Amino acid sequence: MLLALAVRLAIAPFFMHAGDVGTIYESSAMALNGGNLYDFVYAKTLQMQQATGLPVFFEGYAYHPLLIYFFVPFYWLSTLFAGQYPVMIDGHYPSLPILVYPWAPIMLLLIKIPIILADVAVVYILAGIDTRKAEIYAFCPYVVFISVVWGMLDAIVAIFLLTSYLTFSRNSLLSGILYGLSLMKLYTIVLLPLFVVRLFGKWKEMLQFMGGLALTVLPVAYFLIVSPTSIWNVLVTFQGGRIMGGVNFYNFIWVVQDIHFDLGISMIANIMLLVSIVLLLPKFGRKGPLLEAILAFMLASFLFGKVLNEQFLVSIFPLILLCKECDSRLWVAPFAFIFLRSPFYYFALPILWASPIFYNSYLQADTVWRQVQAAGYLQIPMYAVGIGFSLLLFWNLLRILDSTSALTDVTHRQTRGFMRGLIRTLGPVRLATLRPCRAVFAFFSNSRPRNRTWRK
Amino acid sequence: MTAFLAIYIISLSFVPLVHDTLLSRNAWLGYGTGAYAYQGQNYFVLFNDPYDGSSKPHVQINPTFAPNDRIPIIEFSDWTSYVDGFNFFNDFNVTIRPAGQTLDVTYSRPDILLHKFVTANPNNITVEMVSDKEFTAHLELWRWVMTSVNGMTIKDTPKPTQIPITTQIEFTFQEDSLQSTGTGEIVLSRVPVQIMIWPFENGFNKITIDFVNSEMSLTVSGTMTPVGRTYPTWNYWDLPYVLPVVAILVVAAYLLVDKRGKKNKDRASRSSR
Repeated sequence: MLLALAVRLAIAPFFMHAGDVGTIYESSAMALNGGNLYDFVYAKTLQMQQATGLPVFFEGYAYHPLLIYFFVPFYWLSTLFAGQYPVMIDGHYPSLPILVYPWAPIMLLLIKIPIILADVAVVYILAGIDTRKAEIYAFCPYVVFISVVWGMLDAIVAIFLLTSYLTFSRNSLLSGILYGLSLMKLYTIVLLPLFVVRLFGKWKEMLQFMGGLALTVLPVAYFLIVSPTSIWNVLVTFQGGRIMGGVNFYNFIWVVQDIHFDLGISMIANIMLLVSIVLLLPKFGRKGPLLEAILAFMLASFLFGKVLNEQFLVSIFPLILLCKECDSRLWVAPFAFIFLRSPFYYFALPILWASPIFYNSYLQADTVWRQVQAAGYLQIPMYAVGIGFSLLLFWNLLRILDSTSALTDVTHRQTRGFMRGLIRTLGPVRLATLRPCRAVFAFFSNSRPRNRTWRK
Repeated sequence: MTAFLAIYIISLSFVPLVHDTLLSRNAWLGYGTGAYAYQGQNYFVLFNDPYDGSSKPHVQINPTFAPNDRIPIIEFSDWTSYVDGFNFFNDFNVTIRPAGQTLDVTYSRPDILLHKFVTANPNNITVEMVSDKEFTAHLELWRWVMTSVNGMTIKDTPKPTQIPITTQIEFTFQEDSLQSTGTGEIVLSRVPVQIMIWPFENGFNKITIDFVNSEMSLTVSGTMTPVGRTYPTWNYWDLPYVLPVVAILVVAAYLLVDKRGKKNKDRASRSSR
């Protein structure tokens, strides 16, 4: 765990994804000064739409209101070093950022601390279950890249989703809170029908879970009162009306340069996602192990949902590692995709911007990259990887469906007996390694860990 | 379920081709962060998004011998063009609206309101600047590189040179990727004050036009001629034809691997019985 932390701390100051880190940096500054992030993003969007007459959106802070408060303390810490003047200016596509040295690397390290802590927490919890799996997560190049090279916050979603799953059968209130926190990026919303159906009839647990979820959604309610149009536009209109694409078979759309057409055809993906969720509900809503159920819903949403960015897989990667049916090598496809979509040197801007010589090399390399991109040479492998990754997701989904079908046949007769037997077989080994993290949960949930039921 | 997904993926892969052949022609289409593009019978015109001062517009030709290629004829730059001393890109609020074959780009600031109408015709592209009062304009039109402008070559004018005042500018260029030569023509509706050409490497990369008027239109056209035999070349606009092939190949590979995997599994389970 310490080694995982050290690796991340060593990399963090020197790399970034300018657009994403820039958004967090800019939003942290704004939140610290009491600004309304959604009003800002909405105003920018209106400005773009007014200028172009097109349904284009400013890609700024489009996350849960609570998320920024994970970063604000670390932004504030960075201002203690760098002062009140910005050390990173702009960076929103297509602009490149201006970085102020020597403060920019310090800011980058500090602003990534919440992501690093989330990663370390995942490693800690996985280590309590299976050290090999914890090692895979800790040193997986894909996870390290997304969290500290890129500086993307999906590890925060991952820790909350993992802990929500682990606490689901033991403490519904805590599980609800943790699930609500996993909505920092909104794509885990597809799990809500699963949780609702699963708790249907268990009214006390349902009330607790929903109460926990509602607590985390309170800030959204606040913004819905103070600036309803802005938050609706940023969280619902933008997220719901995005053009499809990403590491999936929908990225052919990048070739079609017609925004109205693109938006129209993206509705197909929305319909397919809805249908897949509806089809999965009877299968997993009431029965089957929760881990597989969560993964089935998330894999289906990644497969049919319209946007699947490279970093999304991090959010379910710990769960994939825990699932016997899933292949953890799935990460290879989105990892490869990153380098097809963006040149490797793009993430090294903090290093390359430090010297005029490096800067010049950047410009030369970028000219070549843009020529290759403009010729369409990269679109072909990107499309192939997108389809390949979708098919791998599908293959994993089928394995989960097959395994749970087999399980369901048995459970029709003897559900409880089977699960008890399974837990009895696996339990002693796993539970022995789990004690430290179970103690942590016991502390948070203010309850004694109940033996041999946590994984149900 | 596998068959459904395979059909779904392959069907969707034809979307760019269907759009390209049936829906994308002869209309201004917006995309990206607010750029507009027009694909006509002979010309492609790009008008870049508000965050980029280049290609305002960029006129390109589709050669008859390589119709998928887009060869630049001339690019209007907002980065380096001025009206009454104000830079088109930095000093104006801009709104862009399509209206039929014309793109209406409005540049406004407190004391000036100016329209740039970009009209796509079958045989040429017209860029018309209109204001309700007289203005002084400095326009910069770029191409890398023109081998001659109105008969002058780099040998005649190695330094930036003012050429005789005219309303017709003809230039030539070479396109190595297609082994062809091209000619371009810019016809001005009003007599300008000054026209200059700017040398760069083996030719000229810029024509600047200064004028004082309340309106001015520049009609751009071009032709391409192959030199010798032409060979098919690859470009970005061939992608709609390639993506279905990619989809079919990847899906077929998956189906093959899946089938083989199932066979092996069956064999293993039979032998274990």
